[in-house]
Amino acid sequence: MSLFSLDRLTVDVPGRRLLDGLTLDVPKGRLVALIGHNGSGKSTLLRTLARQIAPSGGHVQLDGQELGAWSARDYARRLAFMPQTTPPADGMTVRELVALGRYPWHGALGRFGAQDGQAVDRALAECGVAALADRLVDTLSGGERQRAWLAMMVAQGAETLLLDEPISALDISHAVEVMSLVRKMCHRQDRSAVIVLHDVNMAARYCDHVIALRRGRIVMQGDPAELMRPDMLQRIYGLPMQVMTRPDGTPVAVPA
Amino acid sequence: MTRILTLLPALFAAGLLWLLAAHALAGWNWPTLPFKAEAMTLDQIRLAFGLMPRGAIALVAGAMLGLSGAILQVVLRNPVADPTTLGIQSGAQLALVLGTVVAPGIMEHGRWPVAVSGAAAAALLVMAIGARRAFAPVTMVIAGMLVGMTASAIATAITLSQGEYLLSLVIWNGGSLVQQDWSGVRALTAVLAGGALAAGLLVRPLRVLSLGVEGARGLGLNVAAIRLLAVTVALVLAAAVSAEVGLIAFVGLAGPAVARVLGATGSGRLMVLSAVAGALLLSLSDGLVLAMAGLGAESFPTGALTGLIGGPLLIALLPRLRGATPPGEERAESGYRRARRPTALLAGLAFAILLAGAVLLVVGRVPGGWALLDRESFATFLPMRLPRLIGATAAGAALGMAGAILQRLTANPLASPEVLGVSGGAALGYALAVFLVAAPGMGTLAGGTMTGGMVALTVVASFARRRRMPPERILLAGIAVSALASAVLAAIMAVGDARSFLVLAWLSGSAAAVTPAGAAGLCAVVALVLAMAFSTRRWLGILPLGDGVAAGLGIPTGQARLALVAVSGIAVGGATILVGPLSFVGLMAPHMSRRMGLVSPLGHLAGAALIGGGLMLAADFGARMAGFPYELPLGLFASLIGAPWLIGLMMRRAR
Repeated sequence: MSLFSLDRLTVDVPGRRLLDGLTLDVPKGRLVALIGHNGSGKSTLLRTLARQIAPSGGHVQLDGQELGAWSARDYARRLAFMPQTTPPADGMTVRELVALGRYPWHGALGRFGAQDGQAVDRALAECGVAALADRLVDTLSGGERQRAWLAMMVAQGAETLLLDEPISALDISHAVEVMSLVRKMCHRQDRSAVIVLHDVNMAARYCDHVIALRRGRIVMQGDPAELMRPDMLQRIYGLPMQVMTRPDGTPVAVPA
Repeated sequence: MTRILTLLPALFAAGLLWLLAAHALAGWNWPTLPFKAEAMTLDQIRLAFGLMPRGAIALVAGAMLGLSGAILQVVLRNPVADPTTLGIQSGAQLALVLGTVVAPGIMEHGRWPVAVSGAAAAALLVMAIGARRAFAPVTMVIAGMLVGMTASAIATAITLSQGEYLLSLVIWNGGSLVQQDWSGVRALTAVLAGGALAAGLLVRPLRVLSLGVEGARGLGLNVAAIRLLAVTVALVLAAAVSAEVGLIAFVGLAGPAVARVLGATGSGRLMVLSAVAGALLLSLSDGLVLAMAGLGAESFPTGALTGLIGGPLLIALLPRLRGATPPGEERAESGYRRARRPTALLAGLAFAILLAGAVLLVVGRVPGGWALLDRESFATFLPMRLPRLIGATAAGAALGMAGAILQRLTANPLASPEVLGVSGGAALGYALAVFLVAAPGMGTLAGGTMTGGMVALTVVASFARRRRMPPERILLAGIAVSALASAVLAAIMAVGDARSFLVLAWLSGSAAAVTPAGAAGLCAVVALVLAMAFSTRRWLGILPLGDGVAAGLGIPTGQARLALVAVSGIAVGGATILVGPLSFVGLMAPHMSRRMGLVSPLGHLAGAALIGGGLMLAADFGARMAGFPYELPLGLFASLIGAPWLIGLMMRRAR
């Protein structure tokens, strides 16, 4: 069962083709990593899936329905998106931020009901930010802030999470913390996630499925084990890479 | 370099237009050198001492402005810097107006020292703000244009308070190139020669500086000294033009822009070509003005025409501001405290305003002191005072709410109706209504201003959307729209009939003419905006987080923007009728509300409304009392409170 199915998806900006005829199925219920070099189109693909960018050609379907055919609110109930740099939430507490996730449910005028309150509480608890609920978002550390934003996506009640480089600004311990949380969120609650990642090792370690882009085209998609091979990494990044095996058997890639 | 040949047609056209004007004046019966007035016919004299120096001064002044703009752009590494956008010309203008009014004795020593000191004061202020942000181009231009707008608002108000005796100043504001002899040409040519020499000596250091501050310092350049020298040269050039022919906007911006299009790279070539392009542009504009005058149209100053070109040009140039703003430079202060009981705070504010209003109703100034009104005079004054107090408060509230909505819409703490061009558009709408409708009633005027405000904001918003621009660039687009509006207004003003004085009087805003119906109408506008704000409160909470998040949560961002734009347009249009286009209340009130810890969208808006009303009440009181028994314009008084506060805000926010 596929989550997204792409058919010859093309995205252009004036003078440049960012995505060049992608045809592919993104599997459901899994953690999918989008990797590639800078400018490979991975963020563009994610933002196209989030309907932040309109395709210039081809088709994309979510759950068998064209992206354009979804109403804005239904789409938001089905799918949550976190931009690469989370904007400053001026003067907002964590709870207020998370409560914004209920917008697709109560809308512009509807009442913020008991059900909404419970969803917010559950989301705070699931992402481990319940203790921070009354802190100002802008005073949190990078990892805490990222978890607060994840909680907003959870409150949104969407089964699919799209994350654009959620750990690129975090130190290694916070990065591990956030990736573990995302993995737990997916596997325990049967959610799907598509995550743009810079770090191959993070992708291999935390994700179930990898899609690699190079210059707007697909280089590979499949199992992380398939990714962690010197020839494949060379094809993706254009750089000789060495893959080493850790004592527990998991592979680690470093530039050769 | 072949592209430079495209300047030839412009040269040809400018020359032809001038020749046409000359021919219309004196036929082919030109005076012979050397010019001796005794031996000439009247037309020959007008040609030799009027039209000829006028043609020459257009070339010289254009070259000076082009050179000045090029130097500023190179030294600040900012493609939209020029004497207009950095407030230098308006500073000179204000100094000259002040000199004429306050100390005419100073002017005996010549206009130049006055103009240069005014320009220097404005430049110093703008540079002081810019220095705190590492001269970030967007910050510089916003600061410069705010300083400029404030300076010219004050100059306009002073002009107004002197009645029509100073109507010549209004003409001068527009930049008229009319000449009576060759002295102006001689003086400006001397300055241009000096400036060109200095610029030539600065070419090499400036080329090093174009590497950026760190790189230049690494190569052993005294960055501060070079900056100071270069800015001084640019400033003297621009101030000299201001002193001689008045405010000629945007030639300093257009000259370098044309030079770049023609392929000028490198600071030396850019300066030379900018001077040439500036000279041609001003000549061409002046030729058009002459031709129109020759065809029997209203004569209007050349500076107004260059303003018409400059506004759109600035907008077109905005996308070239690459990497202009380091991330995080222009964002809001965070770490404000949150009010623990916002409702109680709002109730307190409302009570304070009611109390102040009640006091203002019964307190008055009499010759020699202050007095409480007795029962009889209270009854006499009430029908006059109550509408104006209510009207002023409601206008302030509408502006405050519009400012809060715009700040949330653009996620930019410096957005406001004044800055985003909404007020300028509203002013244009008013002016058009005055000129197009025979005897416009209040409804027509209100419709005109509201439509004007909405159109201006729509232009800015659609432009920003199409180019996918970061929020701070939207501010620049708005400022460009304001500049365009004020150029058109200057042209309208220069026509100089009774209607233009009507517009001028309205521009600085007075509450004296508020009728009970007008005040009630404004209250209705406030109620309408409040109701709309209430129904869009969720959008107002989410939109500051950016389009990405808002669209991700399923907000129809396009429709939401459109709706909020319409609401702000209505609010600003309604308020602008009363207080004129410039008051800065729309900027100050939302900020103060935020500082008081009102964080939630509705609290923020309600706070902004109450504070805006209070500010306007205070401004009205000040406007009535400061110049007792005469009344100062309300808008002027409000901007006198607002401008220093705003400049202080920009200085402080650099943490």
